Amino acid sequence: MSKIKKRAHAGTLESSDAFIEIEPIEEDKIKIELQSSVEEMYGDDIRELIKKVINELDISHISVKVQDKGALDYVIKARLQAAILRANDDEKIKWDKL
Amino acid sequence: MDSSISFSEFDCLNNRRVKRVEKFLNDIGLDFPSSIENFVIAKDGDELIACGGLDGKVLKGIAVAPHRRGEGLILSIMTRLINIAYSKGIKDLFIFSTPNNTDLFEDCGFKLIENCDNEIILMENSNNLENYKKILLSKRKDGNTIGSIVMNANPFTLGHQYLVEQAAERSDWLHLFVVKEDLSEFKFKDRIDLIKKGVSHISNVTVHEGSDYIISNATFPTYFIKDKGKINELHAKLDLRIFRDHLAPALGITHRFVGTEPYCVVTNNYNKNMKKVLEEPNGASNPIEMVEIQRVEKDGKAISASRVREFLKVKNFNELEKIVPSSTLEFLKNI
Amino acid sequence: MKLRRSMLFVPGSNTSMVCNAFVYRPDTVMFDLEDSVAIEEKDSARLMVYHALQHFTYDDMETAVRVNPLHSIYGLLDLEAVIRAGVDIIRLPKTDTVEDVLQMQEVIEKIEFKIGTDKKTKLLAAIESAQGVVNAVSIASCSDRLMGIALGAEDFVRDLHTQRTKAGSELMAARAQILLAARAAKIHAFDSVFSDVRDKEGFIREAKYIKDLGFDGKSLINPNQISVLHKIFAPSKNDVEWALDVIEASTNAKEKGLGVVSIDGKMVDAPVIARAQWTLELAKASGMLGGDE
Repeated sequence: MSKIKKRAHAGTLESSDAFIEIEPIEEDKIKIELQSSVEEMYGDDIRELIKKVINELDISHISVKVQDKGALDYVIKARLQAAILRANDDEKIKWDKL
Repeated sequence: MDSSISFSEFDCLNNRRVKRVEKFLNDIGLDFPSSIENFVIAKDGDELIACGGLDGKVLKGIAVAPHRRGEGLILSIMTRLINIAYSKGIKDLFIFSTPNNTDLFEDCGFKLIENCDNEIILMENSNNLENYKKILLSKRKDGNTIGSIVMNANPFTLGHQYLVEQAAERSDWLHLFVVKEDLSEFKFKDRIDLIKKGVSHISNVTVHEGSDYIISNATFPTYFIKDKGKINELHAKLDLRIFRDHLAPALGITHRFVGTEPYCVVTNNYNKNMKKVLEEPNGASNPIEMVEIQRVEKDGKAISASRVREFLKVKNFNELEKIVPSSTLEFLKNI
Repeated sequence: MKLRRSMLFVPGSNTSMVCNAFVYRPDTVMFDLEDSVAIEEKDSARLMVYHALQHFTYDDMETAVRVNPLHSIYGLLDLEAVIRAGVDIIRLPKTDTVEDVLQMQEVIEKIEFKIGTDKKTKLLAAIESAQGVVNAVSIASCSDRLMGIALGAEDFVRDLHTQRTKAGSELMAARAQILLAARAAKIHAFDSVFSDVRDKEGFIREAKYIKDLGFDGKSLINPNQISVLHKIFAPSKNDVEWALDVIEASTNAKEKGLGVVSIDGKMVDAPVIARAQWTLELAKASGMLGGDE
């Protein structure tokens, strides 16, 4: 488990997309703040997905803020992974983990 | 999905483009806001169809041509503005707008701080106000009369000192807020330092660092250009409403003290407005009594920070000695 | 031969288009990571396209990706991502020489070997310069991975010191050369985008023109152009009737063990049969034979 290096964000506020901001935090947990146009129907699924993506990348101590505009799962995944890679200035991408 | 729309970003040095934005806003009946540093525009072919600007931590001048509303252009403009702000290291943002746009900006992750009489709203994209209220709550003191003063003290004079002494005498506890924005001649660090020294003999006062929520560029941008007589009444009201509805309840504030304003018409008007906003019932929070304290005079003239700055310009320390505390005088001599 | 009438250009940074392009059923969807994506968004768009390529909505659609040039810091990263994601075609950003193609091929082979895939990623070369047009013949036949060559008109006219016109005379030489090169090498030829999305008549005129020239298809930037283009590429009723006759005659001849097929006293050889099959494919794709459009 590792902590991300710095604050980062990815995505847009446009329809079908998601705007994701991440930040390292002191507590050993994944803190999720979700605002979604489909919160009622899919809120829990989106939170699960976020946790899964973060766990797959062996990351902890992270706060995630998501503005979801009805994004498909893979869009949220792509934006979250992009934010994490940016937070770590990652050049070497472990594709098998994405 | 229209790929004929293009976006561009530029800064305030780009005169020709800035002029186009100004004309665009004027054409749709909006004022061109002052002091925008970064602009984002959307064009369809050659036609400007949407714009937005960033001034420090405040987003302003966000507009879409009437015939292009409902396409989500605002969301693209906002994304780009937020990206610019983040890349400058500014993460906590504010938006001034009108109440009919509340939902739109909530869609962009902003929360409503205050809706002032359905005329103007202030929103932010962080939880900072809630966090700030928590900090204030921890500094709460018991008492029947909890006084408050908000001062810029640019710099701290005997007049300020008198106001604090009088207010402290009439209160069980006094909370003194120092305007934090660094837009005055004297830096915040120096201003608060001189205030702390100048009130150190008073036992029932807490000196608070101001915040974005109390006379800041976010709540009250025109305060800092009041020399030009430009205080915007709406902004003044908004600032006072935030004080009354959010900050005062956290500390249990019952009174706000101000000095009488014999010279400046603008500040005098501001004080009159303050009485209305703080004392009249508003359905959201308890009224706060506003108390005006007669300004202390020296040689027939009220002591003011602007007089201090004038004497300082010509290094007249004999006159300065008569109107500032010794701690301020020491500081001025060492500039 | 696969139908490739429409190649829809989808900016990798436009999420709503990435997610919804399949709805319009282009023959090939081409995600762009190059010019339409701002520098700051290259990484994020790459991940978006990486995931989109693997999403079931693109399972039965041919996919292409225009990657950044190999000499940029993004080119290799783009390839690593999209080949892993199983893209069908890599569109080279700008092809001036045979070496450009061979260099790209070498990198792709290495990546395919590294990840252990059997898939042989195809190549599409974009001809966007006078040099590229001059070399089109050698480019078209330099690699068995190359499925086609495409004209990139915007950059080409700049290189030619002219601009695009409605009449299209500035592209005359390039279109002819690219078409001849592609046909000689037996690969596909694609025309450039028609960028004025408001000019519907102009689009129809140009699409008819390039179809008559012999192009297999056209790059598109607006999804609404797809159905229009497909209609233009649809064969005439007469063509379909003729093709059905040819196929019937050849099937009958085969069954009877006849070596020679003829219709109305005319010999029908292998290229004619191939052409008839192609016409029926088109007819099917155009909904003329009960297939889906």
